[in-house]
Amino acid sequence: MHSATSPVVTKPSGRRPRAPGWPRFDALLRRAPCDAQGIARIAARQIYILPTAMGLGLGLVLTLMLVGSLNYQNNLGLLFTFLFAAVALVAMHHTWYALLGLRVQARGGAPVFAGQRASFGVDVHNDRRGPRGDLVVRVGSEDHPPVYLPGLDLARVQVGLPTARRGWLALPEVRIDTRYPLGLFRAWCYARTEARVLVYPSPARQAPELPLAPARRLGAEGGLGQGAGDFVGSRGYRPGDPPRHLDWKALARGRGLVTKQFGGDQAVEVWLDLRQVQGSDLEGRLAQLCRQVLDAAGQGLAFGLRLPGLEIPLGLGEEHRQRCLAALATYGHG
Amino acid sequence: MAERSPPQGRLDPTRIAAATLLVGAAYLPLMGRLSPQISIFVGAVLLLRLAALRWPALTPGRWLLLPLTLAGLGVVFDAYFDFRGRDAGTSLFVVMLTLKTLELRAPRDLRLLCVLFGFLLVSHFLFDQSAWLAMYLGALLLADLALMADLTARPDRRPLYAALNLAGTLTLQALPLAIVLFLLFPRLSAPLWDLGNRAQRNVTGMGDTMEPGSVSELVVSGDPAFRARFDGAAPPQDQLYWRGLVLWDYDGRRWSRPPPGTLPEARPRLTQTAGLIGYELVLEPSGKRWVYALDLPVGPPADATLDGDFQIAAATPLTRSLRVRLVSATRYNTGPLDLDQEAAGLQLPPNVTQRMRALVTGWQAGAGSPRQVVDQALAHISSADFYYTLLPPALGDNPTDEFLFETRRGFCEHYAGAFAVLMRIAGIPARIVLGYQGAELSPWGGWYLVTQAEAHAWVEVWLQGEGWVRVDPTAAIAPQRIDRGDLFSRLSAGNPFRLQIDESGLLFRAVHGLRRLAAGTQVVWQDWVLDFSLARQEHILAAFGLAHLRQYGLALALALVVAATLVLGLLAAAMLTGEPREPLVDIYRRFCARLTRIGLPPGPGEGPQDYARRVAAARPDLAEAVAGFMADYLPARYRDGAGQAQLRGLRARLRRFRPRGR
Repeated sequence: MHSATSPVVTKPSGRRPRAPGWPRFDALLRRAPCDAQGIARIAARQIYILPTAMGLGLGLVLTLMLVGSLNYQNNLGLLFTFLFAAVALVAMHHTWYALLGLRVQARGGAPVFAGQRASFGVDVHNDRRGPRGDLVVRVGSEDHPPVYLPGLDLARVQVGLPTARRGWLALPEVRIDTRYPLGLFRAWCYARTEARVLVYPSPARQAPELPLAPARRLGAEGGLGQGAGDFVGSRGYRPGDPPRHLDWKALARGRGLVTKQFGGDQAVEVWLDLRQVQGSDLEGRLAQLCRQVLDAAGQGLAFGLRLPGLEIPLGLGEEHRQRCLAALATYGHG
Repeated sequence: MAERSPPQGRLDPTRIAAATLLVGAAYLPLMGRLSPQISIFVGAVLLLRLAALRWPALTPGRWLLLPLTLAGLGVVFDAYFDFRGRDAGTSLFVVMLTLKTLELRAPRDLRLLCVLFGFLLVSHFLFDQSAWLAMYLGALLLADLALMADLTARPDRRPLYAALNLAGTLTLQALPLAIVLFLLFPRLSAPLWDLGNRAQRNVTGMGDTMEPGSVSELVVSGDPAFRARFDGAAPPQDQLYWRGLVLWDYDGRRWSRPPPGTLPEARPRLTQTAGLIGYELVLEPSGKRWVYALDLPVGPPADATLDGDFQIAAATPLTRSLRVRLVSATRYNTGPLDLDQEAAGLQLPPNVTQRMRALVTGWQAGAGSPRQVVDQALAHISSADFYYTLLPPALGDNPTDEFLFETRRGFCEHYAGAFAVLMRIAGIPARIVLGYQGAELSPWGGWYLVTQAEAHAWVEVWLQGEGWVRVDPTAAIAPQRIDRGDLFSRLSAGNPFRLQIDESGLLFRAVHGLRRLAAGTQVVWQDWVLDFSLARQEHILAAFGLAHLRQYGLALALALVVAATLVLGLLAAAMLTGEPREPLVDIYRRFCARLTRIGLPPGPGEGPQDYARRVAAARPDLAEAVAGFMADYLPARYRDGAGQAQLRGLRARLRRFRPRGR
């Protein structure tokens, strides 16, 4: 449907203000590329490491210990100072090593409307026998709580991104941080991902009345809707369905909430057309159209969608609704 | 970088409790060394911390922390009237660290506490440098690291084991680097600053004067005075006289050094020396400048002076242990005597009695030379009923006279003092030497230990043609008149008495053995940790042929650290990126390597079968071995897979396969 190089539609908003140099600096860092399966493997050259504030603090304390021990020619003090310093140095390698060879794969979640949070699942694989601690997955400006990853195991982390505009929202990369083992150093790396989430237009508050077309013969199927006539089938329950249409027998059989649908004698068909929606800008008109799609689907009307260059025939049901919304989301984006 | 907000908003109580107990454990060794009120304050704060875990209502808020901090400052100031100096400074740090336990809110607070904890550990060594303390503090450091590790990554299962395991791994991996840094890091030759008056406390040492009874206090002390290691064989025990200071003046009660200026500055003079012995000394801090050298040092060590009495004085008082190299002559002649020295060596106290003169006159009558007078005097001590005891009776106004004619009980000071007076009456210049006699070989390291119990006093007389000659009247006492009644005081002294004492008692030997072992451990500790100095560093570098790099020590140490870092990192990278080791592939590679060595490398892209055929054609003598190897290798590699048995068989074949070139 879309190539993997689809443009990044949405920049994460609400980013915490940072020193002006940082985003540019971060942009210069190497990213771990994805392979054909969309898995990024962290290599040595893609890991960055800096001391934390606590690490710098330890450096200061160690300097004081060193100067003091040297001054009093206190060899035991020196020995302990060097031991602590050497532990910090070894810990630095452990910090780096905790990220080395991680495999990262992200998957996009269900489509959302613009303004809602898009959710992604990030899988972090540890192919090593030993554990890796304190892995923090960071997407945008949000940190997931640290994960302790035992050897030969997989951690699945749900992260979210805010959305503002319709279209495909790609998660170009995730950052993984660690301060394992002592919190003195912070290593981080960026892993590219191919995950993306479809963002529907944000539905307008108000939309024009549905353009109800005169009833037309629909063959033997009859119209599907909320009428009170003949039973024509069932579909999954949606909030707002009249309780008397609930299929209680199905519920008793453990099939969950199911709404019985009845064909009405006044079956109507609705054609939603971008050209018939008034408005100054395209996005506003798409938003209105989106509202109309939701209304029509909510009322159980059979509807079709016409966009310039695209026509989705009349249909009903959840799949049809999603198809229409997806068409609205990607309209004009190729 | 944006600091990540703490993962858990608050610390859980077990971590706070662990940190509190850790601080308490680290304070324990300081308890006896700091003022009691510091201990009370620290104990109270720690108890409040633990109680607040049980009853959170007790947790002091910020409004209480400020007064508590001020109270802590007050307690320290009240104890020391200062915030500087070793004790006050340490107290202040401990108090503040303890108060920090009340303010553990987020993980970063605890992490800060863990970092500062390292400073607390090191400050202990200003007070005590024993191996036991170091081990105890090492364990605390491990616990501190475990706490830090636990704070960063805590698994769901067995968190305590995981944290200790991680801390242990880190420490073990860090140890080699720490030792290299310790050995190579440049040392200062003089302190940059001094916290002051820390040398004036608890230092036992020999006095600068001699009054009967003054040495007895030292005798019962088993503390080490110094250690010696000889370049060659050690001299016999009865030659081990460690010379300290020389006393000329006697006022009838007290022997002392001449006031400055009364004796002209003399240069050490030796007309003849023989039996030279080189040795190394490690002197315990005494607060004095005296360096005890084997009788008789021929020259001063570095940073010390040798005067005309062959006394060695260090440039500064010994506030830390001092390591020196010396050369002494066991046979010597100090040559002629100055007039000033002769006058000083013959000066008599006002309280010389008639019977003392009569005694000396008796000896002179039967002697033809001063040497014979000396011998007569020694014979007198041996034959008359003189007793050696560490608990002599008190002496009155004229101690010499009373001792010689009435009590006749005493130890080296009594004998040396009386003997010197008698020699002066006889017209033989005499002086007192304070020092140590004897030494004991430690179990390890070839070191001889000299303790305060070996403090001694003897006499030097000046004889024509021989110069100053050492005479030890104490050694002349008949062995059967040595008091054995104070076995337990000797036990506490920890050393066999230098005059032959029955040491067969089991208890005595057991206790003594333990003390020897402890002393031996102490020597190694002293040698390799406490006294590790510029000189020894030079020694090690020289052993590796790097002596000329000494002035680059800092750069060298840093370069080593960088190199170690790089090597470690590259190793880790290689481990990870290198292809996984397949035992069969490895075996085949070694097989090929052996053939390559005799000029038959596998061709590029040549399969094992073709290779074997080619080798067999080129070297028919190897054909059988190669075919045998392939018969095992090919099925294992390409058909059946390799079990342990196949691998073992192939390895055995490989071991036997040693082709030689022709």
